[in-house]
Amino acid sequence: MSVEPEVLARARSRVLGTPSIPASEPVPAGLTAATEVDGSRVWLLPSWPDGATPALLEEYQTAPMPLDRPGQARRVLAAALRCCWSRLDDAPWPGERAPLAAVLEVYVGMSRGDSELARRWATGELRRLADTGWLLLDHDTGTVRPGPRVAMWPEESLSSLRDLLRRLPQPPEAPGE
Amino acid sequence: MSSSPENVINDPATPSLDDALVGEAVLGVYRQMFAALARDSGAVVDDPDLVDVAETLLTAFADAGEDGLSREQMRYVCRRHPAEVFENRLRVLKGLGAIREVFPKPNQLRYRASFTSVVGLMFVRRMMLDGGQSEMHRLLALEQLNVADPRMTPGQARDGAEGLARAFRLWSVELLTLTNGTIEELREQAPKLWGTEEILLRAERLHGAILRRWPQLDRTCTELRAAIYAYGDASRRAAARLTDSAGTTRNLTLLPPETWRTFARTASREDLAAVLDGFVFDAAAPWHEPSAVVTAVEDGPRTTPPRPAPPRPSVPDPGLSADTGSDDATAERLRTVAEQVLRGGDRVAVEEVLGDDWVTARRMLADLSAAHLHPELPYRLVWSDGMAVREGGSPTWLSPGTFERTAS
Repeated sequence: MSVEPEVLARARSRVLGTPSIPASEPVPAGLTAATEVDGSRVWLLPSWPDGATPALLEEYQTAPMPLDRPGQARRVLAAALRCCWSRLDDAPWPGERAPLAAVLEVYVGMSRGDSELARRWATGELRRLADTGWLLLDHDTGTVRPGPRVAMWPEESLSSLRDLLRRLPQPPEAPGE
Repeated sequence: MSSSPENVINDPATPSLDDALVGEAVLGVYRQMFAALARDSGAVVDDPDLVDVAETLLTAFADAGEDGLSREQMRYVCRRHPAEVFENRLRVLKGLGAIREVFPKPNQLRYRASFTSVVGLMFVRRMMLDGGQSEMHRLLALEQLNVADPRMTPGQARDGAEGLARAFRLWSVELLTLTNGTIEELREQAPKLWGTEEILLRAERLHGAILRRWPQLDRTCTELRAAIYAYGDASRRAAARLTDSAGTTRNLTLLPPETWRTFARTASREDLAAVLDGFVFDAAAPWHEPSAVVTAVEDGPRTTPPRPAPPRPSVPDPGLSADTGSDDATAERLRTVAEQVLRGGDRVAVEEVLGDDWVTARRMLADLSAAHLHPELPYRLVWSDGMAVREGGSPTWLSPGTFERTAS
């Protein structure tokens, strides 16, 4: 039984989330490669025809992938981007590393209520976002940076997000800098 | 029992006085055997406590020795149980002959217990504990011994074989009924019923032994063999049904919860992972559209009143091209193109800079026009009248024109 390589690659990227391969290997057809900062590896992301995104599902009145507490997850993502996407004129990918504490601080500043609880919620959401390739967590250094999936955002859809991030609270100054 | 097997075999149809006597003796044994289970002389007990009374009494009788026990001693032994229960039991046990007077005369005060009742009680206890299976083991072992016994007659052997065949038949019928019934019932009942390899092996060995010693019993042995095989099939089918349903259903109640818990605690990581072998989890990753992120943040609970954002559509609107001409980058690119075309000079003929093929020529023409139209760039395109037809050329016709630097 032979499987076409691009079909296999797509299935694999679907199962594994966002697999990464060395940059020297060829990128299978039908996948978009988000290149790592140092250019050593690329992340494989399934791409959609004609530059569409899953947001198109809404136009066809098809339910998108169900998500628990989508609002909270997106607020945490916004908080993380506020810290990692410091040069807003550039693309969000690859972004910069930011300490997790700063992200939690921004999220607490955005939300209402018990700040300790908000931190705990945000930590869970950060993990989930990292699982699905929207953020990259580095547990050793306690930092976070944008995941390869943000590279799939079309440039023309980013303006409102840029405006939003400008209005979000400032991340606290890191003690070392 | 006491009747000779030859009598029964040779003359089964006409009952004689001897047969009546034999039947009465058998009935007596039955009554004694089930005395421990009887609530009153007509029914079987429905309360295990009542069996306990009988057992306690029989144990006490065993300790008492040949003197037996008096009524008061019996009451003392059963002091745990209420008086009326004890009276009832004693009456029943006496009535059925499990306990009787040491000497059959009036006003006898001392009693002794029947040996048969104790054995019957042991048998009943055993049957209650592990069903008929271990009893079948014992029967087979016993029958094997009997077959080896030189005093054994072919009639007795036939009776034994027929009894075993009947037991195996009934056994497999019960299993088959269960197999075709609900899976829960099967799970509940089957472990007491289905056989082990050992039982089948023993039965076949016994069958072989009977056949070797009495070749004339081959018909009976065929029956027995068929019954053994039927039982083997039924037990295999029951096991297959159970494992099938346990493997395919998500009904976790097929096994008791303790089994699952033990498995989860003691299984190795590989075993646990093997449970989900063959499953692929490929749920599509959630998608966060930038506009959705914006909406989520703006709709989210917040401490401070939001700064009013300038009215903008939250959905990205491509609208006019981003390339509006006022962009510095565009102007810079056009300037570079213009300077390349002019090569330091002030003017150049358009036909000179157009390439040979139309694809590059039209791009060049578009750039020059854009440079001409750009309000901030000091270039212009001047066309003169006339038209040169160039047969076979890349633009097949061309108006003479110049691209020049303006003075500004």
